[in-house]
Amino acid sequence: MSVSQDAAPAMIRFSNVNKHYGQYHALVDIDASVSKGEVLVVCGPSGSGKSTLIRTVNRLEEIDSGSITFDGREVSGRVGRADLNRLRSRIGFVFQSFNLFPHLSTLENITLSPIRINGVKKDLARTKAMALLDRVGLAEKANAYPAQLSGGQQQRVAIARALAMEPPAMLFDEPTSALDPEMVGEVLAVMKGLAAEGMTMICVTHEMGFAREVADRIWFMDAGRILETADPETFFTNPQHPRAQRFLSDLRH
Amino acid sequence: MSGFDVLAVLSNPEFAGMLIAGIQMTFVIAVGSWTLAMSLGFLLLVIRQIPVPIADRFVAAYVSYHRNVPTLVQLILWYFGIYSLLPEELQYWLSDHNAEVIFAIIGLGLCQAAYFTEDLRSGLRSVPKGQVEAARALGHGHISSMRYVLLPQAYRNALPALVNHSVSLFKNSSLAMAIGASELTHAVREVENLSFRTFETYAIATVAYLVCSLLIMAVGALLMKRAQVAGAR
Repeated sequence: MSVSQDAAPAMIRFSNVNKHYGQYHALVDIDASVSKGEVLVVCGPSGSGKSTLIRTVNRLEEIDSGSITFDGREVSGRVGRADLNRLRSRIGFVFQSFNLFPHLSTLENITLSPIRINGVKKDLARTKAMALLDRVGLAEKANAYPAQLSGGQQQRVAIARALAMEPPAMLFDEPTSALDPEMVGEVLAVMKGLAAEGMTMICVTHEMGFAREVADRIWFMDAGRILETADPETFFTNPQHPRAQRFLSDLRH
Repeated sequence: MSGFDVLAVLSNPEFAGMLIAGIQMTFVIAVGSWTLAMSLGFLLLVIRQIPVPIADRFVAAYVSYHRNVPTLVQLILWYFGIYSLLPEELQYWLSDHNAEVIFAIIGLGLCQAAYFTEDLRSGLRSVPKGQVEAARALGHGHISSMRYVLLPQAYRNALPALVNHSVSLFKNSSLAMAIGASELTHAVREVENLSFRTFETYAIATVAYLVCSLLIMAVGALLMKRAQVAGAR
């Protein structure tokens, strides 16, 4: 048990979560939690259930059994549509493929949801969006359209778009996997900044350098189970589970 | 009677008046049926989103009938079939109010709605799945996702097909002649009967149709240019 888990109340808690795709058991008895302000990195081989796991938090994926709570509220089970939308608006989600809205400018991508969902006044939404763009280093791209931006720039805008809803937690689903290598750094830098400000984050990523430097804790997953939970130092220098040992040794070669 | 002489037709005030009235009626039918088709096409798209199998099957059947039966047959069925099945009161009222034009608008509009709804649907289907997920993840409900994220993109995708089918609809307005609507082709036939100048009258009609079709395509090109997003492929 790491110290951080007991120190702060849970932001996200998985209790006995199971999920199947047909016969395939995608998530097996997931029982774990993420504390407020914690930066968690989920790693593991492809198809191990990492993405599925974080997509269950805002119910982009449904679970078969168990329960998930976010900020003390039940996410799973019967939740009304309005409640579900409100819940989703409070969970920042960043996709591997950015998914910016191509018909809207950078600024409009960021202001759309605060204006339409949270009822923020247009002027205020714009001011806040400009501040966010400044924070991700793209203030000069406010009027550009997604297709005019590089992958790294699009992903930074996507992060700003998620932050515009002022979520108490952010989920990152392989945010750098679709990027050219030279653009990975700029996205990770933004994520490091967020972590430093105390944002609660779950990052599914293969960037082990980032994990080692920024994560408070690491979950290692394979075949739908969390096989190992450790602080980064322990995980990288002295992994306990044989599968984790093999995974790390494969990464080094 | 001398050789090819368009002016012999156009300079005759009676003939010119008939042709102008024909063009006006063509516009009434085209605009009326286009408006009906677009509204109905959108409605059918909405119906198709209802997660009940019968809704989808109903629209599929609707589309299948209207696309696979000749438009002319559909018009005739409306005017000579369905018209006669209506209550007598309504028949009297319709015959006092240009029944042939009303049925032309209904027949063409219902038929074209099948094409428009398919254009819109394929436009919607070509929006990547990640767009819905992104909208949902930000907290947009079904209607909000549709309105702000999916439909604007679907519209852009569907625009070329919608323009093409709008031109088809315009040309198909000439079929209304078969049920006696006094649109341009009908007027041309009458002028031809009175003037015996077949070649000239149809040449005039050809030019009139061509100019209008090209105008519709020009408007379409303008809309496509406006809908173009900077940097998009």
